[in-house]
Amino acid sequence: MTAPQVEVLLQTILSGLLLGGLYALIGIGMTLIMGVMKIINLAHGELMMVGMYIAYVLFSVFHIDPYLSIFIAAPALFLLGILLQKYLINPVLKVDAIIPENQVILTVGIGMVLSNIATIIFSSDYKTTPVDYATKAWYLSDIWKASPIELSLSLPWSVSFSFALMITGALWFFLTKTDMGKSIRATAQDKDAALLMGVNVERMRVVTFGLGSALVGSAGCLFIPIYYLYPDLGGQFTLTAFVITILGGLGSTVGAIVGGLILGVFESLTSTYAGMGWAPVGRFVIFLAALIFVPQGIMSLFTRKRFGK
Amino acid sequence: MKRLSIIVLAICLTAFSGSPLFAADTFDLAIPLPLTGKQAKFGEMMKRSYEIAAEEINAKGGIKKKKLHLSFEDSGAKPETARAIVEKLIDTKKQPIIVGEYTSACAKAVAAVAEERKTPYLIVASADDDITQKNYKYVFRQNPVNAHYSDAVIDFLAKVVKPKTMVILYESSAFGTSGAEAMAKDAAKAGIKVLLKEKYEAGSVDFKPLLSKVKATQADVVYMVSYVMDASLLMKQIKELRLEAKLFAGGAAGFAIPEFIDNAKDAAENVITATLWTSQLKYPGAKEYSEKYKAKYKDYPSYHGASAYSALYVVKDALERAKDWTQEGIRAALKASNTMTAFGPVKFEDKEGYQNQNFTDTFVLQVIKGEHETIWPEKYASKKYVYPVPTWRERR
Repeated sequence: MTAPQVEVLLQTILSGLLLGGLYALIGIGMTLIMGVMKIINLAHGELMMVGMYIAYVLFSVFHIDPYLSIFIAAPALFLLGILLQKYLINPVLKVDAIIPENQVILTVGIGMVLSNIATIIFSSDYKTTPVDYATKAWYLSDIWKASPIELSLSLPWSVSFSFALMITGALWFFLTKTDMGKSIRATAQDKDAALLMGVNVERMRVVTFGLGSALVGSAGCLFIPIYYLYPDLGGQFTLTAFVITILGGLGSTVGAIVGGLILGVFESLTSTYAGMGWAPVGRFVIFLAALIFVPQGIMSLFTRKRFGK
Repeated sequence: MKRLSIIVLAICLTAFSGSPLFAADTFDLAIPLPLTGKQAKFGEMMKRSYEIAAEEINAKGGIKKKKLHLSFEDSGAKPETARAIVEKLIDTKKQPIIVGEYTSACAKAVAAVAEERKTPYLIVASADDDITQKNYKYVFRQNPVNAHYSDAVIDFLAKVVKPKTMVILYESSAFGTSGAEAMAKDAAKAGIKVLLKEKYEAGSVDFKPLLSKVKATQADVVYMVSYVMDASLLMKQIKELRLEAKLFAGGAAGFAIPEFIDNAKDAAENVITATLWTSQLKYPGAKEYSEKYKAKYKDYPSYHGASAYSALYVVKDALERAKDWTQEGIRAALKASNTMTAFGPVKFEDKEGYQNQNFTDTFVLQVIKGEHETIWPEKYASKKYVYPVPTWRERR
């Protein structure tokens, strides 16, 4: 391999990892909801859009940096998630309907309502938060003068990536070390057993939906400095989250992180070596491969060994 | 109380159903265009421009003493919706002429309906070459075709930049594909080697993998055909990667509107773009129109708006000359058009394999100090071009 080829490969993997970290944060919210409630939340991307609009309004009216707006957008989305779960999804969960998965259809409806409300309030114009550091980057040749190759690491992408890592870390801590986190995991593993052990399953569901919404809302705040915003943006990210959820194993948080990173790197590699027009094809190849070869998700490869099956 | 409201309702109903009686001295024109969805930005600009033109026309006495009454139908840039709208306009509303739409995909759908129902259709800003190459009799196009979009850019490259190699990136849509094809052909004619020609999906988040591949080719010129947000994301990420080229060029659309500079900021500096029209041109009415637009909406319009604005004047001209206001009468009058508008001269010709196609000059804009300036052809230039372009490293 010649130096330019190495440069292309390394830059591609670097971009893929950065993108994958953000994908992971989008996917993790969906997988959490999936694990506890056993439904796919198809309004996931629209919740992210709501988070982005909050960041946009805070930026354009109060000049608050999009990254700081996480601390406002995440609680707001948590509240929104709780309300949605309590007053819309829970009542539907209780009813026996003709269609077994009617909650899923309900989430599609919620998504449509959210994006149309956004269209009414903000019109369908593209919005951006033009921050000063949007195109700042670090270059390898600035640090190491004699470097034969040039790599660049974008400042906003790296900041978004680190935030995504921190949020994921905090979530892991919450799920494994706190009482409530343990209760959520118990509910995800076996709802009835958790109920018998005195876990308030109903409440855990409400909290989980809020948590999932808050996660994807903060992902929205991380996305807006590097992307842009319009009311119909949700669908494409719901799809990404869905692929990651399947790839990582339904309901597995670690799986979602690994799945996000794999998807990010794989998409970047297809863009470089097969052509960018093929990137969506790459996404679905991974999706199908996951369904066929590892239907339990990537993490099942490890756990299966542990139990010696 | 209930009875009273029924009476009121009945009165309202009769009043409304009676209104067509008075409508005899208006000419109703419903215009399909995208007002929601990804292309809404362009649709909105065109809607405003149609409204400005209609206001002017009505202030001067309308068309043959009939007031022009506009209404707009949102197609959301979806061909099937556009098709349904136009079917309704022709079949139930009996509108004798169709004007409008923006994306090439929608215009194609509308053109097929119009031809089938023998109703003249005037295209204002859809560029895919195909549409006027199908031997359609009733389809007229006011804007130049994609194949000619980059005429001025090619001329500028050949005379000033003299590049040897080029990379073409384009959006995987009808507009992007035909624009890239046209550029590849022109480049081959001018002796420029195309090292890479690649498409991407509109709305992508990360162009860096693609761009690092472009970087490795070390091409002289990077030519991109994109709609608005992709254009600024591309330039931002090009700057991030320090992808150096002698010149970055855009094929109209996303690069030619003010939002491009607002969003890409300093990454947009010195980028050139093809365009069909600029407010700096000396066509009659061009300046008045763009000042009026700017005063009302705070930004200068791009060629999309100018073409929409002028289209109503073309329609007015045709309607005034038409023997009768039937589909056939209007078609014959449109065909004989030879008029000057704010968008330039309009004349529908059959040549180079196109039918009912208007051919006008195209121009090159360059972003100089955060403003779009006309730089080519030189006789129209508002500022001297900046070339050679400083590298990203120097610009810091």
